[in-house]
Amino acid sequence: MRRLSIAIAALLVAVAALAAWGAAPSAGKVAGGATPAAKPKLPPKPKRSKLPAEVRQRGKWVVGVKCDFAPFGFIDAGGKNDGYDVEVARRFAQLAFGSKTKLELVCVTTPSRIPTLQSKRVDIIVSTLTWTKARTEVIAYSIPYYSATGRLLVPNNSSIRTVRNLGGKTIVTTRGALYAAWTRNCFKDSKLLEVDSPALAVSAVKNGTADTFMFDDAFLLGVATQDRTLKLTNDKFLAIPWGVGIRKGEGAMAAWVNGAIRYMRAHDEFAKILKGVGRRTGAPSSLINSFLGTVPRPNNRFTYPFGKDPVSDCTSR
Amino acid sequence: MSLLASIDWHFIREHLPDFWQGLKNTLKVAGIGIAGSLAIGILLGAARAHRIPVISQLAAAYVEVIRNTPILVQIFFIAYGLPELPWHPIHLTQFTQAWLSVMIWGGAFNTENFRAGFEAVPARFREAARALGFGQVATFVNVTLPIGGRIALPSSINTYISVLKNTSLLTAIGYVELTSTGYNLESETFKATEIFIVLGIAYLAVVWTLSALIRLVEARLALPERGR
Amino acid sequence: MIGVLPDWAGPVAHYMIHDGLKETLRIAAFAVVGSTAVGILLGTLMTIRFWPSRALIRLYVEVFRGLPIIVTLFLVYYALPGAPLIHHRFAAFTGAAIGLTLWGSAQVAEATRGAVQSIPREQHEAAAALGFGWIGRHRSVILPQALRRLLPPLVSLLANVIQNTTIASLIGVTELLATGQRSVERLQFTSPESHAFAIYGAIMAGFFLISFPLTRLAIFLERRMV
Repeated sequence: MRRLSIAIAALLVAVAALAAWGAAPSAGKVAGGATPAAKPKLPPKPKRSKLPAEVRQRGKWVVGVKCDFAPFGFIDAGGKNDGYDVEVARRFAQLAFGSKTKLELVCVTTPSRIPTLQSKRVDIIVSTLTWTKARTEVIAYSIPYYSATGRLLVPNNSSIRTVRNLGGKTIVTTRGALYAAWTRNCFKDSKLLEVDSPALAVSAVKNGTADTFMFDDAFLLGVATQDRTLKLTNDKFLAIPWGVGIRKGEGAMAAWVNGAIRYMRAHDEFAKILKGVGRRTGAPSSLINSFLGTVPRPNNRFTYPFGKDPVSDCTSR
Repeated sequence: MSLLASIDWHFIREHLPDFWQGLKNTLKVAGIGIAGSLAIGILLGAARAHRIPVISQLAAAYVEVIRNTPILVQIFFIAYGLPELPWHPIHLTQFTQAWLSVMIWGGAFNTENFRAGFEAVPARFREAARALGFGQVATFVNVTLPIGGRIALPSSINTYISVLKNTSLLTAIGYVELTSTGYNLESETFKATEIFIVLGIAYLAVVWTLSALIRLVEARLALPERGR
Repeated sequence: MIGVLPDWAGPVAHYMIHDGLKETLRIAAFAVVGSTAVGILLGTLMTIRFWPSRALIRLYVEVFRGLPIIVTLFLVYYALPGAPLIHHRFAAFTGAAIGLTLWGSAQVAEATRGAVQSIPREQHEAAAALGFGWIGRHRSVILPQALRRLLPPLVSLLANVIQNTTIASLIGVTELLATGQRSVERLQFTSPESHAFAIYGAIMAGFFLISFPLTRLAIFLERRMV
């Protein structure tokens, strides 16, 4: 009988402790007063009520994404959109409306993405949009959600070693990319070829129409991994973050998107998205891991080069 | 009109040299394409009209394939499909891809134009030439070609003008002809209204002028009895 | 037959046919119906001896036949939304449908004018003698004959419109050519072979299979008229 009483008492104590422990978080975030190691305050989850009225009433996001630029925005074997940017957009839909399907994706290309945003055909664009001073004159940027570096793709037997010996060579890139502007400003003795999609640019290098493809590292590394006749030179340039494109003057939209990005960064969701996309596109895990520094993480954030204009800065070549 | 007032005329003036360079490239490629189409049209049209074995059938196949597939796909095929040809990749310079695509297209349509023209030459003219002792080739050169060529003039003119217009599709392979120049500029500056109105006026000016000039020539060369 | 295809080809074929070809046919349907309706209307109006309307319609026809189709599409899709009256951008599909209709209607208008004017004077005179007014004459006698003469060019137009939908890929419409390109891009990134030759070849074959019967039909109808 006594053992039974002790057992019941112990059980009651355990239940009480459990209840006390369970009750503590729901009483609100205790700002580390009682605990010895103070945890930093996590960003709040973006609220549906803070969404701009148009998006909230529509009940879904309409987002412009790339459809021809792996691994950020492309069409998978099943004909569905996939990619880093696309997954970010899906997460926005999930945070706003609770489901990744509350989203309409509109394919955009580099030349069409800003006009598509400006004419309100889409709410925002998550489309490999690098920050440039020229673009900030027409649209607003969210805080960074990725950071790319420029690289050169060349055939294995190319005589091009660095970005410095491009004199007289033909550089190919996509229409309207910042590399096009940089080439026009800083490589006046090179020829510039602009094509509509990254894949066409790779073809141009492979069939000799162009000597090198100047583009973002993620895409070029993916191509070079699959195609053993191509390689990247060692130099890196124009390391500038990407942002979500937002129409100027839409403070509520920017506030929500920034809140979502902060939330995702604090929960290390960008790394998770990157790994998922890497896996799905067949990238080796060593390559994926080498890219973890390009996404915002709890201990890694990016800032735009405010006040500078890297695209007209020819000293970096 | 407020539309006129909202156009950035300074922007247009600033970039006129770029448009001019693009137009020159358009005319360069179109010129080669038209010349090539003329040659192909006469040679294969003659082969078809005279039912020369093998060549006639091959020419017929060529014409049907080109006429029944979109020119844009033909351009992509030449530029991006040929280099991936499984056993014998064919790599061409961009300029070659450009004039070759428009020439192959124009040549197919022109083959039909000239075939119809040559076949429309009344048989009695050819018979008269043979009676006078002209050989096959001499008959063709002295009788069929001049007369049939003039019969084919209106339709072949339309083909040449279409060749010129089709150069605009070379934007897809990045060749910097007029349309590509405008599109590249739009990608950087987003001044779509200004740029595409300039493009529209430029093409209409070229096409309308060429049409008018050539119809003048056609009026002079037209065969009197056909009464067009 | 699908079982005979290599691994990579199955999903590509499904995507291209199910998404791409469907979109191609959708645009073509819109453009053909629009071109025929607008074109026949304009072409008939062009035969009325009232020079202002004739001049305006003539301008329309010469502009949209003279412009390369890609330039028309760029104007409609990129420039038009910026114009004073229109401030809302439409989807690429709409832009392509409108652009192709502008071109197609110019073609049909010209063909209609030719067809109506090719009806011999005797028909007009006979109808007038029977007591038909201008509208009645055109409605019951002239137009039915003209429309029959229009059939071969209309069938040719259908074939041409279907082929020209590929130009819409340049403004971002995901029709057959674009789905082929997306597949080549995906394969290029995720596998050693992009199969560009096979894919572009298949697209050419697909268009040939659709267009060839139509052009043959047009020729057959033309011969039957004579």
